[in-house]
Amino acid sequence: MKKTLLIALTLGVSVAATSTMANTVDPETDRQQLVDYFKAKSPNIEFQEYANGAYIYSADKYAQWEAAEEFPPYLDAIDAGEAAWNKDQAVFEKCFGSDVSKIRPQYPYFDESTQQVVTLEGAINKCRTDAGLKPYKWKKGTLAQVSAFLAYNSRGQKIDVKIDSEGAKQAFNEGRELYITPRGQLNLSCAKCHTYNSGRMARANTLSPNLGHTSHFPVFRAKWQNLGTLHRRYGGCHKNMRATPFKAQSKEYRNLEFFQAYMSNGIEINGPGYRE
Amino acid sequence: MFSSNMKKLLTALAISSAVLVSPVTSNAADKGASSVEEGKKLAFSRSKGNCLACHMAGDGAMPGNIGPALIAMKLRYPDKQKLFDKIWGTPEAQNVPNSMMPPFGQNGILTDAEISKIVDYIYTL
Ligand code: HEC
Ligand code: HEC
Repeated sequence: MKKTLLIALTLGVSVAATSTMANTVDPETDRQQLVDYFKAKSPNIEFQEYANGAYIYSADKYAQWEAAEEFPPYLDAIDAGEAAWNKDQAVFEKCFGSDVSKIRPQYPYFDESTQQVVTLEGAINKCRTDAGLKPYKWKKGTLAQVSAFLAYNSRGQKIDVKIDSEGAKQAFNEGRELYITPRGQLNLSCAKCHTYNSGRMARANTLSPNLGHTSHFPVFRAKWQNLGTLHRRYGGCHKNMRATPFKAQSKEYRNLEFFQAYMSNGIEINGPGYRE
Repeated sequence: MFSSNMKKLLTALAISSAVLVSPVTSNAADKGASSVEEGKKLAFSRSKGNCLACHMAGDGAMPGNIGPALIAMKLRYPDKQKLFDKIWGTPEAQNVPNSMMPPFGQNGILTDAEISKIVDYIYTL
């Protein structure tokens, strides 16, 4: 097992070294290697468990977290999201259809006409502004609540991001680049924490694996005492790295989400999630 | 061509002078307890070294385990300058692929004087 891990790690290094050449990485090969890497690292952790973040690495914390999920603090937020949806139902149904269980799994996707990644949150606000409604604020509040309502209604369906064009492949590679390149004063990259050191402790925090990172968003964090979107979390991690965060829904973060979601293909959607 | 050579030269100068400015020659005993105490504070402070995020060190509470425990430093680093260089992040000292260890001096996270004090402290561990 040690040997496999070492091979996986050196693979990571050689890939990182050539990463400046766009489009060198085949997304499906990359995803398969990541799955194999985590299997070698933790042979006893089932693939679907990666929906549960850092808790999979500690039986104690897992039990505490499962107890918290029985009466989760995000239920009010889901209700608020449903109320917001119903308030502008006619507008939303024109954009998304009337089956709320079929919406979350379609995002993120690569829009060939604009050559851009479209996220669920981005689509919600575009739907509003196209209809002359005010956009919600990014990162938290009503947007996160509507997103949570839609995630909740598609729990159990699998993440299934598709890449079948050069443009999509490019967006994936740009997200991947952002994920593995060290940034900021501490010289850290997302990969250093969430791939190479997942399962280890940064002070009292266990580092979660990037496999499954997007499955449970938006997340209710005890620390925030409310719901936050994936891009809010990205900004927080960039600040911890002492790097300048990008804006929520910037091209950079949409590509990062596209990369992370593709890497999590096959994992069940279980949002919203509760986290410390 | 010229500019890239120039750049290399400048980096080399910046690195060597940084190391020269702060040679770690005297030992902890000479500097007295105060440097060790200050070094400990710098090492534990979240906004300064924050070494505990990743390393077990002395009696520091809730250490992480991303890096190796900082123990027996004198034994492992008979040459104190090498320890300074490891924390400063000189190119030769950054020899572990994908390491989380931040290059504290190179990236201006800590001053050379602060790193020296931290070295004095962890040399007692
Ligand atoms: C210094 C270490 C560090 C770096 C670098 C870092 N993170 Fe994190 N990240 C954490 C910690 C600690 C947490 C909270 C515990 C956990 O869930 O992993 C976290 C949480 C997350 C979560 C939420 C996981 C969950 O299950 O809810 C996501 C998503 C995430 N990080 C993505 C990123 C991305 C993308 C980057 C790079 C832009 C990044 N992180 C860089 C330490 C880091
Ligand atoms: C973000 C994580 C992180 C932080 C913060 C950090 N280190 Fe490290 N450190 C590591 C890792 C990982 C290694 C092992 C890989 C390497 O040598 O680069 C390491 C290696 C070292 C080594 C070499 C250990 C050996 O056995 O040879 C020393 C000495 C050290 N760190 C001291 C410090 C000091 C002092 C601080 C605070 C000023 C600090 N580190 C902060 C992650 C960190």
